[in-house]
Amino acid sequence: MITKKIEKMLANVQKPGRYVGGELNSIVKNPDQVDVRFAFCFPDVYEVGMSHLGMKILYSQLNTLPYVWCERVFAPWMDMEEQMRKNNVPLYALESGDSIAGFDFIAFTLQYELSFTNVLNMLDLAGIPLKASDRHGLSPLVVAGGPCTCNSEPLADFFDLFFIGEGEEMDCEVIELYRRYKKENRSKEEFLIAAAQIPGVYVPSLYDVTYNDNGTIKAILPKCGAPEKIRKRVMIDMDKSYFPDKFVVPYIGIVHDRAVAEVLRGCIRGCRFCQAGFLYRPFREKSVAVIDKQCHDLCDNTGYDEISLSSLSTSDYSRINELLNQLLTWTKEEKTGVSLPSLRVDNFSTELMSKIKSVRRSGLTFAPEAGTQRLRDVINKNVTEEELLKTVKTAFKGGWTTIKLYFMIGLPTETMDDVAGIAELGQKVVDAFYENPDKPKGKSVKVTVSASSFVPKPFTPFQWEPQDTIETLHRKQRHLVSSVRTRKVEPNYHDADVSFLEAVFARGDRRLCNVLLEAHKIGCKMDGWQDCFSLAKWLEAFRKCGIDPAFYANRRRSFDEVLPWDHIDCGVKKSFLIEECKRAYANQTTPNCREQCSSCGAACFKGGICVEKRPNLV
Amino acid sequence: MKNVRIWFKKIGTARFISHLDLNRCMLRAIHKAKIPLWYTQGFNPHAFITFALPLSLGIAGERESMDIRLEDTELTREELISRLNAALPDDIPVFDATEPVMKPGEIAYASFIMELETENICAEEAVSRIKGMLEQENIIVPKHTKSGIVDLDIKPFLRKTEIAPKTGLIEIQTVLPAGSNMNVNPLLICDAIKTYLKLDFYADIKRTNLYNADFQIFV
Repeated sequence: MITKKIEKMLANVQKPGRYVGGELNSIVKNPDQVDVRFAFCFPDVYEVGMSHLGMKILYSQLNTLPYVWCERVFAPWMDMEEQMRKNNVPLYALESGDSIAGFDFIAFTLQYELSFTNVLNMLDLAGIPLKASDRHGLSPLVVAGGPCTCNSEPLADFFDLFFIGEGEEMDCEVIELYRRYKKENRSKEEFLIAAAQIPGVYVPSLYDVTYNDNGTIKAILPKCGAPEKIRKRVMIDMDKSYFPDKFVVPYIGIVHDRAVAEVLRGCIRGCRFCQAGFLYRPFREKSVAVIDKQCHDLCDNTGYDEISLSSLSTSDYSRINELLNQLLTWTKEEKTGVSLPSLRVDNFSTELMSKIKSVRRSGLTFAPEAGTQRLRDVINKNVTEEELLKTVKTAFKGGWTTIKLYFMIGLPTETMDDVAGIAELGQKVVDAFYENPDKPKGKSVKVTVSASSFVPKPFTPFQWEPQDTIETLHRKQRHLVSSVRTRKVEPNYHDADVSFLEAVFARGDRRLCNVLLEAHKIGCKMDGWQDCFSLAKWLEAFRKCGIDPAFYANRRRSFDEVLPWDHIDCGVKKSFLIEECKRAYANQTTPNCREQCSSCGAACFKGGICVEKRPNLV
Repeated sequence: MKNVRIWFKKIGTARFISHLDLNRCMLRAIHKAKIPLWYTQGFNPHAFITFALPLSLGIAGERESMDIRLEDTELTREELISRLNAALPDDIPVFDATEPVMKPGEIAYASFIMELETENICAEEAVSRIKGMLEQENIIVPKHTKSGIVDLDIKPFLRKTEIAPKTGLIEIQTVLPAGSNMNVNPLLICDAIKTYLKLDFYADIKRTNLYNADFQIFV
């Protein structure tokens, strides 16, 4: 429960519903009857954090342990932060209203690089020393999970340990160990050395990093018995993997305000720019019966009338039509809609379309990612122009008139012709609309072509690539806009400054910890919000620390360079990524996991599609 | 089909959600409780749900109501109440379900209890100063309206206003015009105290009841 002191501040802030807790299905326990207080911190505002599926899974799961109380913590918006600092109210957890400084675990989920300053700001608001070396007691332990932990080096100074991979089992093992060490009054050092033996746990303080004269890394050396390589954890049997039967139902509107079912993990595709496509391998599906039950339970327990079938690529689910039919047996009667957030150009069918449309109708979004076939081959986005046009024609026949197409600019080997190709593809989609004989009467078509800037990421075949400079990206953005010749195509693009900073931190090393600290000191926060982001402030922080951001963003690395994340093992072999990079430069595509196994290395987890495709392997 | 007036409280954490959020919260609860709501028969079916009088953000409600229209159903009053309570957050408890007697449009007054917690000044002193302010010939405060901010004299609306110290706090009991014709938000009284007396305080406000033009309790 929130205190009177907090209530008083709420009169002076926007959207006070963010800060009060008390929602349906939120879990309140007696603090005297638990051994471990766990603060699950999402380093962004309530509406964003509450939309995150991973948090819902782990929140419910940790609270099934009777001796753990897991609570939610979000970053307060500026107005609330101001009130909190003015009234000396430290960061508190929503369920209890207690200051998190006294908790056992302060756990962050790291979903995007631009939330890193919020992590520091939240620790600061909680009154917790930012650097791990300044926290001497066993608690609070500051830990993190999420995709950004695949290269957590820019945060290494601030965290005690990182969870690499999927947390369902590993988080519980670490909490169990902690509980024992706390009872035995053991030191933080003893705990961390023991925790490092748990598969998937990365304790950054147990690794020494040395550098060459040219600034690159010389070696990453483990000590105190920590493993040389930390292999990510994976939930191999998705049907048996924990999934909540209820979500906390927010009072206020959030970004994704609906029931979310996870139909599969991983992706068969292997698009060469996509970190998630490699990081979450192997591809694992849930069965129709399990998904159907999970959907039904969630709707029963939340009152949501919309289900989103979530995954990296839901239309790649092998039994998608069977699943939709099964869901339709009860969703129609219960006035519940089903939506698919991610559709692919090459397997969007009339049948699929009719099933989504029968319940709810929204705009359609596809991601061809590049404007020309050559460049789509380079990035291994195995989608052809014919397929795209066939798909949009299907959609137009079905009555859709708004299509959104996602692209990237700044991809490796890209030329100005490839950029112009984006506008041309948009034009062809418009033409396809007018060629349709039974197009809706009196309606016009709108095609939005949205171009984000390519950010090279660790564990992709493009992890060695330089990012285009901000100037080059701006030039390409202008070229895109000038290549559009009709008002029916609407071009838009992302801020290149933001992408630049993402590129620096995505492939950064430990020397960026100081930059982050400096940026925090000069007031960088909420960097993911356009109004708050200031590249000028960031450049000042880099200057003060004597670090050149271009070294991280715009430099081509050689294949034999030691990368800051080389001690992290996500299953996919580095030799495979090198091979893929070379194939990209030769405009050669690679078949998807379902067509043919390319021996990426993810078979080491002995499950998912790797086993289904190659049963003789295990 | 039949109309049912659901009576509930909006207290604790629920004070901090807007009317729009309350509406969504109720619809979700009705859906979760599997209550056979009657849907409009039009091209785009939607549920029939009306709140008697929206409550301002931050103000608690002791006797709030919403009207819903149900399909013909065997559902008893008790079952309706218990099912809704199982589907709602703790801070929105349902305590009754009745057949509507008055129309929401008949609402003309609302009663409030306000507890003011002052800093740097004791309650007795503050009470006498506020009483002095209430004696003034007029009390002008800016009021947000659809056509912008206008200066409103709230003095004529404060005839049923009593003020007294209560265990270190200042308690104001007041009945103000409410409804679609004339609506005076109790926060305007707070604004007046803040502007005229330069007092700083925290106000805990709850709406206790609604009345028609003849001061009969809204049922």
